Formats: sequence, C-alpha cells, structure tokens
Amino acid sequence: MTIKSNAASVRFDAVTKAFGDVVAVDQISLLIEPGKLVTLLGPSGCGKTTTLRLIAGLEMATGGQIFIGDRDVTKLPATDRDVAMVFQSYALFPHMTVGENVAYGLKVSGVKKPDAQARSQDALNLVGLADLGDRMPSELSGGQQQRVAVARALVLEPQVLLFDEPLSNLDAKLRRRVREEIREIQQNLGLTVIYVTHDQEEALAVSDDIVVMNNAVIAQIGTPRELYEVPSDAFVADFIGEANILDCEIESVAGDMAQVRLGDIVMQLPALNLAPGPAQLAIRPRRVDLHAEAVAETLPGTLLKATYVGTHMEYRIETAHGEIFAISGDVDDLHHANSEIRVGFRDPGPVLIPAA
Amino acid sequence: MNKFVALWLAVGLIGFFVLPWYTTDDAFVSFTWLRDGWPLDADYAPAIIQIFAHGKIWLAPLILFFAAVVPVLRGNPSDRLFAATLTFAGAGGLVFLLLQGFTIGIAGWEYASLEALFGPVERQFGMGAGAVLVAAAFLFLLTQGFAARGYVGGDLFVAGSIGLIIALITAFVFFPVSRILVSAFQDNQGVYAFSLFAEKISDSKIWGLRCLSENVSCGVAWNSLMLAVSVGIGSTLLGLAFALVTTRARLKMGKAFRVLTVLPIITPPFVIGLAMILLFGRAGVVTQFMASTFDIPPTRWIYGFTGIWLAQMLAFTPIAFLVLIGVVEGVSPSMEEAAQTLRADAWTTFSTVSFPLMRPGLANAFLLGFIESMADFGNPFVLGGNYGVLSTEIFFAIVGAQNDQGGAAVLAIVLLAFTLTAFYVQRRWVGKKSYVTVTGKGDAGLHAMLPKRLTWLIFAIVIPWTFMMLVIYCMVMFGGFVETWGRDHSFTMRHYADAFSVTTGEHGLIWSGAAWNSFWTTISISAIAAPLTAGLGLLTAYLLVRQRFAGREAFEFGTMLSFAIPGTVIGISYILAFNIPPLELTGTGIILIICFMFRNMPVGLRAGVAAMSQLDKNLDEASLTLGANSFTTVRNVILPLLRPAIAAALVFSFVRAITSVSAVIFLVSADYHMATAYIIGRVENGDYGLAIAYSSVLILVMLAAVSLVQLVISRRKLGRRTAVAGAEQAGAVAT
Amino acid sequence: MKKQITFIVGGLAAAWLAGTPALAAEKLTLYCSPQIEWCNLMVEAFEKETGIDVAMTRKSSGETFAQIKAEARNPKGDVWWGGTGDPHLQAAEEGLTEEYTSPVFDKLHPWAQNQAKSASMKTVGIYAGALGIGYNKELLAAKGLPAPESWADLAKPEYKGEVQIANPNSSGTSYTTLATLVQIMGEDEAFDLMKAMHKNVNQYTKSGSAPIKAAARGETTIGITFMHDMVTQVVNGFPIEIVAPTEGTGYEIGSMSIIKNARNMESAKKFYDFALNADIQTRAREAKAYQVPSNSGATPPDESPDLTKLKLIDYDFAKYGSSAERKRLLKRWDDEVGSLPR
Repeated sequence: MTIKSNAASVRFDAVTKAFGDVVAVDQISLLIEPGKLVTLLGPSGCGKTTTLRLIAGLEMATGGQIFIGDRDVTKLPATDRDVAMVFQSYALFPHMTVGENVAYGLKVSGVKKPDAQARSQDALNLVGLADLGDRMPSELSGGQQQRVAVARALVLEPQVLLFDEPLSNLDAKLRRRVREEIREIQQNLGLTVIYVTHDQEEALAVSDDIVVMNNAVIAQIGTPRELYEVPSDAFVADFIGEANILDCEIESVAGDMAQVRLGDIVMQLPALNLAPGPAQLAIRPRRVDLHAEAVAETLPGTLLKATYVGTHMEYRIETAHGEIFAISGDVDDLHHANSEIRVGFRDPGPVLIPAA
Repeated sequence: MNKFVALWLAVGLIGFFVLPWYTTDDAFVSFTWLRDGWPLDADYAPAIIQIFAHGKIWLAPLILFFAAVVPVLRGNPSDRLFAATLTFAGAGGLVFLLLQGFTIGIAGWEYASLEALFGPVERQFGMGAGAVLVAAAFLFLLTQGFAARGYVGGDLFVAGSIGLIIALITAFVFFPVSRILVSAFQDNQGVYAFSLFAEKISDSKIWGLRCLSENVSCGVAWNSLMLAVSVGIGSTLLGLAFALVTTRARLKMGKAFRVLTVLPIITPPFVIGLAMILLFGRAGVVTQFMASTFDIPPTRWIYGFTGIWLAQMLAFTPIAFLVLIGVVEGVSPSMEEAAQTLRADAWTTFSTVSFPLMRPGLANAFLLGFIESMADFGNPFVLGGNYGVLSTEIFFAIVGAQNDQGGAAVLAIVLLAFTLTAFYVQRRWVGKKSYVTVTGKGDAGLHAMLPKRLTWLIFAIVIPWTFMMLVIYCMVMFGGFVETWGRDHSFTMRHYADAFSVTTGEHGLIWSGAAWNSFWTTISISAIAAPLTAGLGLLTAYLLVRQRFAGREAFEFGTMLSFAIPGTVIGISYILAFNIPPLELTGTGIILIICFMFRNMPVGLRAGVAAMSQLDKNLDEASLTLGANSFTTVRNVILPLLRPAIAAALVFSFVRAITSVSAVIFLVSADYHMATAYIIGRVENGDYGLAIAYSSVLILVMLAAVSLVQLVISRRKLGRRTAVAGAEQAGAVAT
Repeated sequence: MKKQITFIVGGLAAAWLAGTPALAAEKLTLYCSPQIEWCNLMVEAFEKETGIDVAMTRKSSGETFAQIKAEARNPKGDVWWGGTGDPHLQAAEEGLTEEYTSPVFDKLHPWAQNQAKSASMKTVGIYAGALGIGYNKELLAAKGLPAPESWADLAKPEYKGEVQIANPNSSGTSYTTLATLVQIMGEDEAFDLMKAMHKNVNQYTKSGSAPIKAAARGETTIGITFMHDMVTQVVNGFPIEIVAPTEGTGYEIGSMSIIKNARNMESAKKFYDFALNADIQTRAREAKAYQVPSNSGATPPDESPDLTKLKLIDYDFAKYGSSAERKRLLKRWDDEVGSLPR
C-alpha cells in the first residue's frame, strides 16, 4: 500500500465565524490529535459544517486562530492547506473520468503523469474500484461515486481528511458498510479525519472522539462512551441516544459524591462539580427497570403504552415527575398497558446534569 | 522570496526603465522605436530618461513607490507589515500616476491654479506601453496587499481579478460615461445649468401621452419602453421555442435549426431592415403580390412599431436562443424524471419543473432582449417611420441639425433609467432560489419529451418564422447579384468585383477591391476583441457567482452599465474621454477593441452567470481542497463545464464586434475603418448592391466562425446518456 | 501564471494596434462628408499631385461636426471637406475651424465667396445644390395624380399620404427647406403651408436624402430633397422626375474648413487650395457627384441642374445658419407642425 499518512493535529483557538449578523461559530477552542477520527455532531444549523469549512479554508474565520500541525493557517486559502475533503454531494467533476477525478489533485500539484496515474490507481484499489478508472462518474452507482470521492481525497495523503455528511445520500445498509470502510482505512493509514454528521448512531460508530455542537458552540467533547454515559447537559443527553430528563434535588455534596433526591428515592451519584440545589437527572431508557410489585427505592407510575419491536419492548410510563421512556430486553415477561407499576433505576444509571 | 511581488515589481521596473513611456504611434509594434533613437529620443524614451533628459521630473516620485516594495520581497504574506507596505506602495503609485496624468497634459498644466503654484512645466502626451506596465504593476501589488489582509479569502487570483476588472471598468465605462452625463447638466457653452436639465428631462417629446387620445406620436420614452418590453417578451418566448425544438424535440434537423437560428445575429445591421422593406414595404414584393392578387391596397404598415418589432425580433431572438439553449440543456434530467415518477404527465412536468428551473435563463434572456431593443439603432433608423425611439433620437440629437449634446445626454439618462430598472426587476424576479442542477453527483437521466400540445404550438410558431427568415435571407443573397436591388434585376457580379476583386501585380497579389481594407481590419479587430471580451465576461461572471466580496452589487452594476448605454452615447463619450492624455486612444485600433470589450462583455457575463449558477459550488470547493488554486479551478473545472456559455460568449462577441454600428461610427479612423461604417456609407448613398454584397460576405465569414466555435467547444461532456444508449446503460447504473 | 501571460499577450495585441498621429512630415488627415467615391477621388488625385500621404475618414457632416467638437482640445483631423454648409458655419461660430484665404479665392462663384465672408473666412463653399421636389413618375401615373409644380401644390389634398420630407430637427436638408419656405413666403405663411402639408406627409424621415430614395423605390410618391440627390437616383435608373418649384428654391453650399490647431497645417492648406481648383472640381462627375462646383472655371456635370436656370432665392446663410434663429424656427416647427395629429 503506497498511500501514506501525514496525519497532523488541528487546533482551534477561540475561532469565530460570522456571516453578517449571524454568528455561525462562536469562540470555539478545540484540539484534535493526529491520527484520530473526530466527529462533529449536532442538529442542522449548529455550525458543524461551518467549522469543517473553516478547517478546509473554504470559509475564513472572522476571529481567532486555526492551526494544522504547528502551522497557523488562519489566513491561508484552501489551496494552500494540506487538507482534503469529501463532500456530501461528492462533487465529482462530471466532465472527467473516475481516474481523472482521482488524479486531479496530483495533477494540479505538479506530480508527473505516470506517478499520478500509479498513485490514483492505488487509491482506487484501496476503495475497491480498481477496474472503474475509465468510467464517467454518471455511470457509477451512488456508493461507487462516494468511494471515488474518498479515493480522490486520500490520494493526496493530506494532513487532515474532512468528511461532510458523506453518507447521507446512501441507503441504510450501504451506509453501515461504507462507514466501516472509512473507519478501516482511517485506522489502517493512521489518518486524522474530521467527520461531520447529524446522525448520532453514525457518530458513535466511527469516532474516536465526538464534538457535539449546538447553537454555534461546543456542547461537549468526549469519547462515544463518555458522551453516552456521562452527558454534560440535557441537550447532549437527549441528542446522543435518548434520555429521560427528570428534575431532582441535590441535598448535599461530600467530596466527589452527591446525595440526590428524586421523589422517595435517595441516590449517591458522582457530583460532577455541581452544588447542592435543584438539578436534573439524565437516565437512558435501558437503565430503567420496571417492577409489577412494590420495591424499595422506586417511583410509582402508570404504564401508558407497551410496544413490541422484536428485539425489545418499549414502554411509556406516567409518573409524578414526568413521563419516562423505558426499554426492556425481556420480551417474554410482559407488563400491560394501564397497569400500576413501579419504576426503578440501575446502577450505574442516572447521571447528574445541571438544572435547565 | 515572494515570487508574485517579485514578478510585478519586475514588470513595473521594465515599464519604468525600458519601454517607451509615452504613446509611440505604430513604431512600438513595428519595433522601429528600437533603432529610431531609443532610449534617448524624447518620443521613445523610458520614464527614467524622460526624467533626466527631457525634464519630466514629475515622474521621478514613482520610483519611490517601487523602492518601498523592495524590503518586503522576502516578507511573509501573513505579516501585517507586508500587507500594509504593498497596499501603500500599490495605491500610492496608482494615485500618483493618475494625478500626474490628469494634471499635466498636452499643453502643460491642465489647471491654471497649479501653474501659478508650481510654475510652467513641459507638456506630455498620452501614456504608452511603459506607463501601462507600471500601472498594472501598481494595481497588482495593491491587490496582493489586499489579499494578504485576508480579503476574498486571501486568494491572489481572485483579488487580482477583482482589482483588474474594477480598474478597467472605471477607466473604460465610468470615466467616459461620466464625461457625457455631465453634459446633460451643461448648456452648449459648457456652463452648468440645472434648470435647463429639468426643462429638457420633462419635455413632452419624451413623456407625451397624447397618443392615447389623439392620432399623434407618444413621447419617445413610452415608445421605447413599449417596444423594448414587447421585444423582450417576444424574443424570450421565441428563443425558448427554438431552444426547445433544438434540444427536446429530438429532430433530425436539430443542427440545421441551430445554424438557422443564429443567422440574424451574424447579419450586419440595416440588412434585415432593407430586406423587409423590399418584401413588405409599400412597393415590396409581398405587398405588390397581395395587391394584384387579393386587391389589398399597399400601405406603409411596415414603417413604425410593427416593422421595428418584427425586425428586432428577427435580430434578437438568437440572443435569447443562445442564452436559453444552455439553460434548457442544463436542467437536470433527473429532476424531470423525478417529476414523471411522481405521476406528473408531460405537461405538468414541463410547467412545474422544467419551466421554473429555466427561470433564471428566461429572466436573463428577457433582460438582454429588452436592453438590446432599447439600445438598437439600425432597425428603428430604417423602419421607424414616425415612431421615434430614444436611441435614434439620441443619435440625431448629436449628429442632427441641432447638435444638442446635452439633449442627447438627457435622453441617455432616461434610457439608462429604463434599462437599469429592468435589471433590478429581473433580479427581484429570479430571487434567491437555488437553481443548481448540475451537481457533483453523476446525473444519468434523459431529458423529458415535450408535451404534445406544446410541441404543436412550438412548431406552429417556429416553422412560419423560419420560413420568413429563409425568404429574407434569400432576398439578401439575391440582392448582391442584381444590378439595382428592387429595380433592375439583371444578373451581375459587379458588386462583388467592386468590393472584393483581387488582381495580380508584379509583387504578387493586389487586393484591389474597395472593401478589402475595412474587411481585414474588421476581421482582425473582432478576432482580437472576441476572446478578450468573452474572457472578461466569464471572469466577471465567476467573480459575481462564486465570490463574496465587499461592493459586489456595485461591481455588477458597473459591468452592466456600458451595455445599457446606447452605442452612440458610448461612441461620443469615448471620444470625449480618450482623445486627450492620459489615455490617448482615438484613432487607434485599441479604442475599437476596448469599446467592443466593454459593450459586449455583459453578454458573456449573463451567459456565464446563468450557466454558472447551475453548477454546484462544491465542485469548485472540491478542486480547491484538492490543492488547485482558484485559477486552476477555473481552468480545469469551471471552464470545461461552461463550454456552451463560452461558445456563446465567443461567438457573440466576435459577431457583435463585426456587426456593431452606432458606437463604431465615431471611433473608426482612416487606418482602422470598420466594415459596418463602410456599409452605412454605401447605404446612405443608395448603393445597396455593394452594401448587400459586402454584408453577404460578412455573413459567410461569421457563419464559418460560428460553426468552427460550435464544433470545437460546444456541448458539455457530462456522460448523460443519449436516447439510443440509454436502455443499454440502465442496467450498468443499477449497481 | 496564465493571468500574466494573458496580460502580456493582450499588451502585445494592444501595442500592435497602437498608433497615434504621426510625426512624419508630409501627412494629412482628412474628414470627408460626401459620398465615398468622391472622397476617394479627391484623395487619390491629391496624393498623386503632391505626394502627401492622406488618411481619410468618411462620416456624414453631422457626425463629423460632433467629432470635431469632441476632439476640440486635441484635434486629430486637419481638413474637413464637403458636407452641407450649416455645420461648417456652426463650427466657425464655435471657433473650431481656422481662418484661411486661398489664392484661388477670387476665382470662386460669389455664393461660395459669401459663404466664406459670412464666417470670417473660416470656411469656404466648394459646391452648391438646390432644393427640389422629386416624384416617382410610374407611381404618380398609376395613381393618376397631377405632377406637383410648386411648394404650394404639396399641400393639395390629393397628395394625402404621398409626400415625404425629412424632420428638420435631425436633417440639415429639411431645415434648409424650412428656411427656404420662410424666406420665400414669410414666416407665418410658410408655417401655414407646412401645417397644411402635414396631412400629406407620410413620414418625417431622419436623414435628409431618405425621401428621394424612398420615392425611387416606390415607398412614397413625392420626396423633397436636394436635386443632386435626385440626379443620383435618375442615373441609377429609377423613374424619378425632378421639379424646380415655381416659387423659387433655396440651396445649400457644400463647404470646406481647416480644423483649428491642425497638426499638419501646411498639408491642410495645400489640400484646401487643391480642392478649390477648377480641374479637380470638374472631375466630380466621375464620382457620380452632381452638385455645381464653386470654381467659376470648372464645368458642372451635364446631369446637374443648371443653377442659372433655376429661380434661386437670395438665401441668407448668416441669418438662418445662426444657432439662435435655428433654435427658434425648430421650436416653432415642433409646436405647430410636428405635434399635429394626422
């Protein structure tokens, strides 16, 4: 394999981007280690694509500094940055063959033709399109076009590889396969990859780290597991997977642990630097237990709806603290709608987050 | 070492130390300046010698601005000092260059107050090659300064292009136009008189509405407006019909149609009008036939609105066609296919998807038709009868018995107001909707067939129209071979011999025909102007569509301005502006080329804008992130995808350069005589035979050029299936 | 970089076409307003006789006047030869032309000398042409109309929609007609006639000679222009009949001026003298020019209307050529004639 990695880190130093009055990216600071795949995740309009384009040099920051490796690239145009990007629309040049598309970056950087051809063939091999170099992009399927776009970006051996929602035009099955391929290539080559998506499942599946963005700022940075298990606020908790958000009271804090009261239940949970007073609990649906009979440390409730979805059961329960959504792997021992029920939480289960 | 700074510094220094500073007659190109006393002779000396040997000491400070650049030669573009230095040196140098040019002219100081202050100075002539290089160097140093500050994303090519176009438009549009518009506020003695302006602009000859109640002519403003709107709508619809026929009807003769539709565009002015008179005039062939067969009394209906409208429709439909064909082809087939799969029938697909997608193109076509009609001079001149329009009134205000330049300027302002309003309305109508249909995703669909009803309607329009065109062109071709057109129809080759005879002498061929001189000048000037015009137009389109920068709106306005102003006004304003230093261009071929560039550039611009707004921006961005700079991106990605627009722009600029009249009349000189000016002289003299013969030859030459361009660069290569190959490939695509 | 290359190529192309007025000694830039054949004839003959290189541009007199005015601060032309006299007089009035008295001056017809004197020698007459009425005899016969004989006839109702004349606002020819009528019958009467004629006029053309061309091709029956333009149509084989109005008629004096601050003043004067010679004026016929030459020694073309047999009025060029009078008459024409319904 002749495609190498020149992976470099990416650093944001209080970067701001405003379009007129609209602030798309607000004072973001961020460090992405070399060789990592980091996802920018968030709802539409949260600024994730703008952040990616700032790295690419397709947008110019209105404030702050951007570094790739040790180099300050803040004012450098896209051309002069050692990055490559895979676009949502793939942006394959419709007037060039697949081979010409892949070799394009090499050609414009002045690589000799035989070298360029050999290297683009390597890249096509890597994405499994060895024989399609002479086709026109319009003659390929969506998945193939997508892989051409990846090959075209890879062949330049960029310091950073950027993906802008690369899978959104593919069907679900293909999406899973392609994202695994991307992850595999990234890990094999040790590339620095920054990946924009609004699909949390995709993000969890491929990332080393995830940067969750909301309203032009970073909501939380962490590994998939950290984000899932210790969301820092209600937004993250709800955006990554699903979560029940319940109001609670921190009664006291001792060291790292807090004593938390939710109705009749009193729990010892990691304090996460919160002070005594009102707070919220984020609880994953799979961390909720349902009991038909009265058990200590549970909440009373009424089962509103039970849905059988094959692999598991989904329940909606009305309690004094709000509606709770629960998932149970037990599809044999069923609870029935409209029955009185007790709701308990596993350990680890509830996570403290600041009050809204 | 920063190679861009070094390059432009070198260019500037060559301009300053080597090349002749002032204009040097034909000597510059023939290189006679090299042996005729350069570098010491006062006529050919470079700036440095002019300073020391010929007393032009005011040129000396320029060297300081170059010196200022030297310290940053090794500088880092992200350094603040780098940007500041380049900005200062570039701007300072330019300003100083202009200042000395405008204050010291052919009679020394231009302003008595300066003479009193500094004492008398030597006189100087217009800027020459040296000065132009120095100006360019300062300009591009300035734009590099801006780029280094992060303007337009720090892109040198984009910053340089913007700077270049702004400089050119300022020099060759705003400057001359302001010279003539100022005269709207002056009386004939050059004294400012605003009350006179108020009186002239509210004249009932311009705004009169008595035609609504009585049988008199309306004001020329209303006449022009009505004509332009009807021509704009008519030519857009007809152009659309032709575009649909050639692209969608899957005709065997589609190619032939293409050629036929552009025929009027390559017809020198007056010719269509004359042919129409000979056909439909009171003594015309058709009229006489109708009179003798059906007893319809001959009338003069062709003179007036109807006649002008017909002639302009004939003349301007091809423009709409050229704009629309790219748009019609550019509509993504998969969107039409999508509509069809959503159970839309052919008619619904066309009316709800294809047609709305063509909207920007339609708006552009209308705008062009409208403006062309407003500024057209030839057709109203021949066929106008008593129907006065602004363009003819402007012409006769200047050259007619009144010699009222101020009056012409007032009419020009009215005309300009109309065209700019049209421009604004068009912008509002197109709005901000996205019409991207060529995306980076391969698009392998087939264009939808036209609905049946529409097909018949289109054929019902296109076929008679085509027939009429054929008749007119037969008339024209025929006219060159008869003794006296419309009178004595005995066959002769006399007119061709008069114009294009070639005899052999002792030194080989002698081009003895009367037309050769103007013919060669016309062809070479147009051939030089065409690529420059198309390039300028497309570059501007690229900047407008693809780049965000401060002052974009004003920039766009400036590019449309020279197109919106009638040729007569441009012609006169060019003489006013470029007859004296610092830009002394009258009597040269350059002034013609420049005039063509800025008059015709908006066509390439509109075609480019329409085509480029259908190109997914991600394509350029992909190229940029792959390490191509914006210039390479334009060359490798955008231009190949814009082939139809380029073809249109090239063809159109070439052809318009050959066929333009009103501006050219004032700018031709003894050494640079243009074909149209020659033909008009013949027409004025009633010598239609030679005029027609000459026009026929020009038509053939242009036809050859058009075909060549069409052949070399026309269709986009997008890998869309053709109807035949479609079925076979459908399987392959489904992977 | 391509941009630079483009610039250089552009620069070379620009340079190739660059050219400013020359420094070579024997040269002449001629602005010529009559038909091109006549201009060519003059240039060839002059070059042959003097060896001076002539750069000639042909533009109509209105265009030339506009150009000379625009170029006033840096004149490019040397001599303006031909074209109707009014713009020449106007140029003289605005100080755009140079005073000069040719040694041949004494040999000129009195009307040509008067033209010069009224402009303090800043212009001179080189030919004269009288106004007339032309009609298409075939069309007239087909419609069974009587031939017009006088200006007054043109107002007769039977010619409704059959007469064409230029708009005096745009055409010097038509203004000359207007001034002629005023001088023949007095201003109010002249305007009454024109108002009566208005119903007969099918079009006020922009260009002065257009009416007779339209008549030649049968687009109108009667046209009012200069007689020498009618002669051209007759020679071209069109069925045009020329009428000298019984009330008398006015005329134009084609003129020549030297442009002020001409770059080649010596050559300009040589041309000036040359153009007034009898020999060259006699040769005008070769170029199908049928005006009457101003040198009394020159022979007018056979086809030319004989001025001595016409009832020529004593046209007051000084009065009717002045801007003020022109403006007043044109305004009155606009108000009383041009705006009439038809």
